[in-house]
Amino acid sequence: MNKEEILEKVKSALVTVLEHDNFQLTEDTTAHDVDGWESVTHMMIISEIEASLNIKFKLMDLMNMNSVGDLVRIIESEL
Amino acid sequence: MEFVKKLYESIYTNANQNAFYIKDTFYTYKVFSDIINSIRFALQQNVSENEKMLGLVTNNDIETYAAIIALWFEGKAYVPVNPEVPQKRNEQVFELTDIHYVIDSSEVSTFNDLEVINPQKIESVTQKIPLKKVNNNDLAYILFTSGTTGLPKGVPITFNNVNALVNAVDIEPDFNLMPTDRCLQMFELTFDFSVVTYLFPILSGACIYTIPKGAIKYFYIFKLINEQRLTVLTMVPSIINYLRPYFNEINAPDVRYCSFGGGALHADIAQEWSDCLPNCKVFNYYGPTEYTVYSGFYPYNKETHTKNHNGVVAIGKPQVGTTYIVVDENNKEVQVGITGELCLGGEQVTPGYWKNPQKNEESFFVKEEKGEMIRFYKTGDLCFKDNQGDFLYVGRSDFQVKIRGYRVELAEIEFHAKAACEKKVNIVALDILNQLGNSELGLAIESDEFDTTSIFEYMKSKMPDYMIPSHTRFIKEFPHSINGKINRKELKSYFEINK
Repeated sequence: MNKEEILEKVKSALVTVLEHDNFQLTEDTTAHDVDGWESVTHMMIISEIEASLNIKFKLMDLMNMNSVGDLVRIIESEL
Repeated sequence: MEFVKKLYESIYTNANQNAFYIKDTFYTYKVFSDIINSIRFALQQNVSENEKMLGLVTNNDIETYAAIIALWFEGKAYVPVNPEVPQKRNEQVFELTDIHYVIDSSEVSTFNDLEVINPQKIESVTQKIPLKKVNNNDLAYILFTSGTTGLPKGVPITFNNVNALVNAVDIEPDFNLMPTDRCLQMFELTFDFSVVTYLFPILSGACIYTIPKGAIKYFYIFKLINEQRLTVLTMVPSIINYLRPYFNEINAPDVRYCSFGGGALHADIAQEWSDCLPNCKVFNYYGPTEYTVYSGFYPYNKETHTKNHNGVVAIGKPQVGTTYIVVDENNKEVQVGITGELCLGGEQVTPGYWKNPQKNEESFFVKEEKGEMIRFYKTGDLCFKDNQGDFLYVGRSDFQVKIRGYRVELAEIEFHAKAACEKKVNIVALDILNQLGNSELGLAIESDEFDTTSIFEYMKSKMPDYMIPSHTRFIKEFPHSINGKINRKELKSYFEINK
């Protein structure tokens, strides 16, 4: 899976959890840029990505994640 | 006032200890007391004796915490508002309480109609200012919670109420904080649980670790536990529900105490969480805002104390100075084992809702108990007492729900949603369990699909974000029960978020 495909998966997880697609997703996007993306929905998004890609994140990685780019890199390392 | 004196002494005795860790910075009690003195000086210069309550904008900085203590040392109350909540709602709170002055450490204050004291921009005072006399029945704070009519509901708490809380917790032999403790403070200061997470550490000279606004709360807490080696955790159960998938990576031997409150603690997750904290005592606290945070607790232990009802851990026994009774709809006490409404009596009961005689009539009553006339608060929580004198939680008696520890009246959400909806349709707010076992809000609309953008924009201008439904469903015809009421239980099945 390449970066674009991963980004697409992340996008669809966001749409599922947040119930809107009113955002642009790049590697520099952070939670602050997307309406409704906060502590609780973040946890839902993470578990949605885990389910759709059949991976399991490590708490140590999640703890230091600050942007969508970080998220994509962690997913790459898990695939 | 005993506890205010103790706070005053602790702050000077522990001058060299760390008091706060906020946004990667440590502050000592010396620094803390200097800021308190500066704020007190500003209050004495600018605010008359008669102004007994001031507004407080709850920023995550040391000045905001210092402002609370400064106000108490001056015998005044704080009325906190969260800057992330719609401005209209915060203005409403200040109007209801007739606030003229607000302490606001924000770069630019949004309260232009009030006298703003910015603690970042006041004269610095380092000499010790003697303690003012604090009257027992004066207010220490007023917190506002969700109300049914679209107006927030104020709960005033007196210095005497707080003093009774401090005495009850001090008497408890199993819970003693030390100056070496490192304590989590994860709560917004408009939420009553925050009172115990700053008050008890300051009384003991311990260090308080806060959560930056905008951080992913759950991971930040883990980071603090892991990197700062916290020793005392005070949390709502939803925190561990969200961390549950990662429990196998958590091992925190430094944690001595973990107190839960503000929602039902489930026995299975409590057990798994205990495995992550091998040297920890777990307390399942109970108590509403109206009873000054805590009224009692159950000392959970995965091996010896696992009492629960339908998987919800017992709330245990009342603390010293508190009386629990379970009553029927006529406020008559029911027998052991019978479910009824839990009522709380004792020195921690609020004097009554702020300017709300009707609600006070409904929520408080006086009853003779063991030869004494006691004023009781009706919690709205259904409970029963078992043969060993422990109380067990059964559910809510009304349409109030807990979202992330906050109390939410579903009627308030419906009120605002309907007010913004041009079509005259039925709208029902529901609490739905998500796949991680936490409550989320759903909005069911009896209609064909239409654009709800304007409804949501309106709701966001009226209510804090935890009250905005995260799921919307259109249903052509609402299901009804036999007696003609909307069948809320069946309505919930339309929200398939717990696949």
